[in-house]
Amino acid sequence: MEPSINWLDDPQVFRVGTLPAHSDHRAYRSGEEIERGVSSYIQSLDGDWQFQYAKNPAERPVGFFEPDYDRDHFFTIQVPGHIELENFSQIHYINTLYPWEGKVYRRPAYVLSDADTGAGMFSAADNNCVGAYAKRFDLEEPLRNNRVTVQFDGVEQAMYLWLNGHFVGYAEDSFSQSEFDLTPYIQDTDNVIAVEVFKQSTAAFLEDQDMFRFSGIFRSVRLTAQPEIHVNDLAIHSTVTADLTTGHLAVTLQLNDHPAAGTVSLTVTDDQGEMVAEASEKATEQVHFGDFEVANVRLWCHSDPYRYHLQLTVRDADGAVLEVVPYDFGFRRFELVDKVMMLNGQRLILNGVNRHEWNPDRGRAITQADMVADLQVFKENNINAVRTCHYPDQIPWYTMCDEAGIYMMAETNLETHGSWQKMGAVEPSYNVPGSVSQWRDAVLDRAKNNYEVFKNHPSILFWSLGNESYAGEVLAEMNAYYKRVDSTRLTHYEGVYRNRAYADRISDVESRMYETPENIKAYLDDHPEKPFLNCEYMHDMGNSLGGMASYVNLINQYPMYQGGFIWDYIDQALYVTDEVTGNRVLRYGGDFDDRHSDYDFSGDGLMFANRQPKPAMQEVRYYYGQYNN
Amino acid sequence: MANTTTNLRVIFGDGTLGVAGPACHYIFSYERGGLESLVQHGKEWLYRTPMPTFWRATTDNDRGNGFSQDSAMWLGADLFSHCVAVAINVDDQDLGWPIAPETNRFSNHEWAEKVQIAFTYQTTTVPKTNVTVTYQVFNDGHLGVTVHYDGQPGLPELPALGLRFIMPTPAVGFDYTGLSGETYPDRMAGAVAGTYHVVGLPVTPYLRPQENGMHMATEAVTVTRHTTLNNTDVDATDFSLSVVQTTAPFAFSCLPYTAEQLEAADHIEELPAVRRTVLGVYGAVRGVGGIDSWGADVEPAYHISAEVDHEFSFEIRG
Repeated sequence: MEPSINWLDDPQVFRVGTLPAHSDHRAYRSGEEIERGVSSYIQSLDGDWQFQYAKNPAERPVGFFEPDYDRDHFFTIQVPGHIELENFSQIHYINTLYPWEGKVYRRPAYVLSDADTGAGMFSAADNNCVGAYAKRFDLEEPLRNNRVTVQFDGVEQAMYLWLNGHFVGYAEDSFSQSEFDLTPYIQDTDNVIAVEVFKQSTAAFLEDQDMFRFSGIFRSVRLTAQPEIHVNDLAIHSTVTADLTTGHLAVTLQLNDHPAAGTVSLTVTDDQGEMVAEASEKATEQVHFGDFEVANVRLWCHSDPYRYHLQLTVRDADGAVLEVVPYDFGFRRFELVDKVMMLNGQRLILNGVNRHEWNPDRGRAITQADMVADLQVFKENNINAVRTCHYPDQIPWYTMCDEAGIYMMAETNLETHGSWQKMGAVEPSYNVPGSVSQWRDAVLDRAKNNYEVFKNHPSILFWSLGNESYAGEVLAEMNAYYKRVDSTRLTHYEGVYRNRAYADRISDVESRMYETPENIKAYLDDHPEKPFLNCEYMHDMGNSLGGMASYVNLINQYPMYQGGFIWDYIDQALYVTDEVTGNRVLRYGGDFDDRHSDYDFSGDGLMFANRQPKPAMQEVRYYYGQYNN
Repeated sequence: MANTTTNLRVIFGDGTLGVAGPACHYIFSYERGGLESLVQHGKEWLYRTPMPTFWRATTDNDRGNGFSQDSAMWLGADLFSHCVAVAINVDDQDLGWPIAPETNRFSNHEWAEKVQIAFTYQTTTVPKTNVTVTYQVFNDGHLGVTVHYDGQPGLPELPALGLRFIMPTPAVGFDYTGLSGETYPDRMAGAVAGTYHVVGLPVTPYLRPQENGMHMATEAVTVTRHTTLNNTDVDATDFSLSVVQTTAPFAFSCLPYTAEQLEAADHIEELPAVRRTVLGVYGAVRGVGGIDSWGADVEPAYHISAEVDHEFSFEIRG
C-alpha cells in the first residue's frame, strides 16, 4: 500500500496496517527471564534517533525513509521525548480552545456539511510541523528467525511508518499503543526504521485535552519477537459470586494465526504458591480455559490488593518452552446495588485524583520513577483512586495501580472541548464526534484500544468514554460497546450532563465537574437515577482547596454520593533556565511567546510540577483518611 | 519602692513619644504615624511603622471569581491609609496628644507603670473608615497591641484584616505554636496542632505568586533574626521577638514580601531579593475557596464583612 498524506485530513482514516489492540501481557522465554524482569523477546528502540524537523508538510524531507537517503545532516533526538522540549517546535499551552485559535479557521470535516471533506486542512497547512525520525538497528540475536513487531506506546498525533524503505502503516490515537508487523521487511542487520510524525491531523479535534500541546514519539518504542506459537491476547474473566465467597475464572487466549503444533498450559497460584487452577490445551488460534471455581476466594480491594498469579506456558510439539506469560490478576465484585456502587459488598467511596502524566523536565514523557513516586504520594495521603485524565496512561501504570490497590477510572483518549464550549458557554454547533458518522469509527476505535489493552486490570472499575466532548450517537455507541464487552465494570461519562437527551444511554453514574455541594444535594434529593460522583472537583489552582468539608459531609448524608476525583494531582509547568538569574525556574503557558494561551491555568495540582506537595495536601490526607476503604 | 512599680521611663519628645523599659525601648512617632522603633535587648525590630493591612495577593480563585475586582479599594487602603489621630494615656490619665509647649512641664525623669498610645488610621476607601491601633507598654516592658476596625456600611468584603510589621533584615526562621502547614479558615481541618520550627522565610511557590503562608489559630510565634542594619552591631548571636495571644488565638504569616510585592510578580523568580521580614498578624482571614477557579465564591462563613466592627489583640515580648 502507498501512504497518502491526505489521511491527515480524513477522519475516516485513523489506522492503516496496524495490528489489533490486545492485552498488555509480556512474553518471556523462561521463568528465569521473568525473575530477572527482562525478556529476550524484546528489543528496545529507545534512545538516539536521527531527526529532521519541518515546520509544515510542504517542507518535510520527502523520501527520508529510504535506507540510502542522505541523513548525515539530521539532528539527534532522544526517544521517548517531545519535539517541543528539544526546541524544534514552539512550546504551547492552551486549555479548551483548539491550538490553532486565532491562527487558522477550521471546522471539523463533515460536521457542517457532508460536502466538507476537510481536504488539505492538515496536509496542506503551513504550520503543522513534521518530525522525521529514523534509526538504524540490527536485530538482536534472540529475536531473529521469529515474527517481529514494533510497538509504539505513544506518538503524538499522527505517524507513518517505514522499514527498510517499505511503507508499513499509519496510526493516530496518540496515547494508545500502535503495533505493526515488521516480519515481511525485517533483516538481521542494518535495518532502517523511519517514522514521520505530524503534529496535527483530524486527531487534533479529538485530542483537545487541557495540556501543553506536544508532538513526537513521547513514549517507548520496542521490537517484540514472537515464536511460532504466540499468545497475542489474554482475556481473564474473573468474577465473584454474590455471597463473595467463591471466585470463577475463565481465560481466553488468542494465539497467532495458524499456530504450530504445541500446547499451552495454564497455572494459577495464590501468593503462598498453592495451585488454584491448572489446565493444558492444544495450541489453536483460540484457546479457552475454565471455568475454574476458586473457593474461599480472597478479594482484591484498596486495603488488600490481593492478586493471584496466572502463568501461561507455551510449548512446541517436542515440549520445548517457547514462551512464558505471567499475569497477576484479582477477583473483585463491582456492581450497583439499590443505585449505590458496591465493591465486594461495601459501598465504594472514591478518594480520588485526576492525574495527568507530568514531569517538569520531560513533559508527558514521564519515567518509572515518577510513577513510583506518585503511588507513594497516594499512599501517604489516603488517595485511593485515580482518573487517567484524559487518555490512557503508560501501560505499566495500570499494573502498578493493581499492586497498590488504586481504583482506576480508565479514560478513553478523547476530548473535543473546543468543538462545543466557547468562552464558557455550551455551543455545540460543530461538535465532534456528536452523531457524525464519518467520525464514528475513529472514536470507537479509541475505546477498543483502551478496553483491549487494559481489560485484565482489577484496578479499573470504570471505563470512561473520555472527557468534555458533549454527547451524541457516537458516545452512546461507545457506552454500548463498553457495556457489551465488559459486565464487570461501570461506564462513566460527564459530558452527557450537557446533553440530557442521552441520559438513559450514556454513563452508569451521574458524573459532574465542579458542581457545588448545594446542587449535588439538590440532585440527590430529587429522585436520583444514578449514583453521584465528582469526576473533577476541588479545583486546586494556586492557593485553593478550601471548603472540602462541604463535599465530605455529603458522604454520610447520601448513600448515593460516592466521592470523586480532585482536580488535579500535579501542576503542569516546565523547568527552564531563567534568563536573568540562571536558576532553574518553572514556567507556564504564555512564557514561550505562545498565543493564544491559558497561562497558569495548568497550575492546579495538589503537587507542584516538581513533585513537591502543596500545603493543601494535609487537608486531602485528613479528609480522605476518614473514609479510606 | 517606686523603682519596682514604675519601670517605664517616658520621654515626651517633640515628634515622638519614647518609652524605655526593662531591656526594651519603644519610640512612637507622630510624624510617621505609628510605632517607629521597637528595640528589645538592644536590637531594632522595625524597618517601617507597622500599618493596618487589608490586602492579600490575589489568589487564582480570587481572580476567577472577581473578588479582587470587587474589593480592589482595599489594595489602595493597604498602601495609602494614613494616621489621622494620636491619643496618649499614661497610668490611666488621658493626656491627649501632648506636644510643646505643653510638654515643657516634663523632665528627663518621667516614670510610669503603664503607657498607652493609640493611632487612628483612616482608610482610602469610599466611604472611608477608621482603624485604631492601640499600643500599651506594660511595666515589665512587654507591648500589648489591640487593633479595632470600625465597620462601615457600603464597603466591599475585606481580603484580610491585620497589622503588618516590616523588620529590617530577613529572619533565619520562626517557631510557632499553632497548626501545621499553611492554613486558611476553610482549609485547616487537616492541620495538626503543635509547635513548629520553620527555617528561613519560605514562600509557597505557587506557579503564579499569590497569597500564601498563612497560619491560623496561633498561640504564639517567635521570629528569630541573626543580623541587623546597625553598623556598630558586631554581635553574631541570634535574637528573637515573640507575638503571643492574649484573649484569642491569632493568624499570622511570616514572609519576605508584602502582599503588593507578591501581587506584582507573575513568577516566583520575579520576586525581589529577600531583604526584610514581613510579619503579618491577622485578626481575620478570608477563606481561599476551592469549588472552582472561574467564578465560585468562597463559602459565606469564610468571608470578612467590612460593614461590621472587628477587633483583635496580641502582645509582643522580647
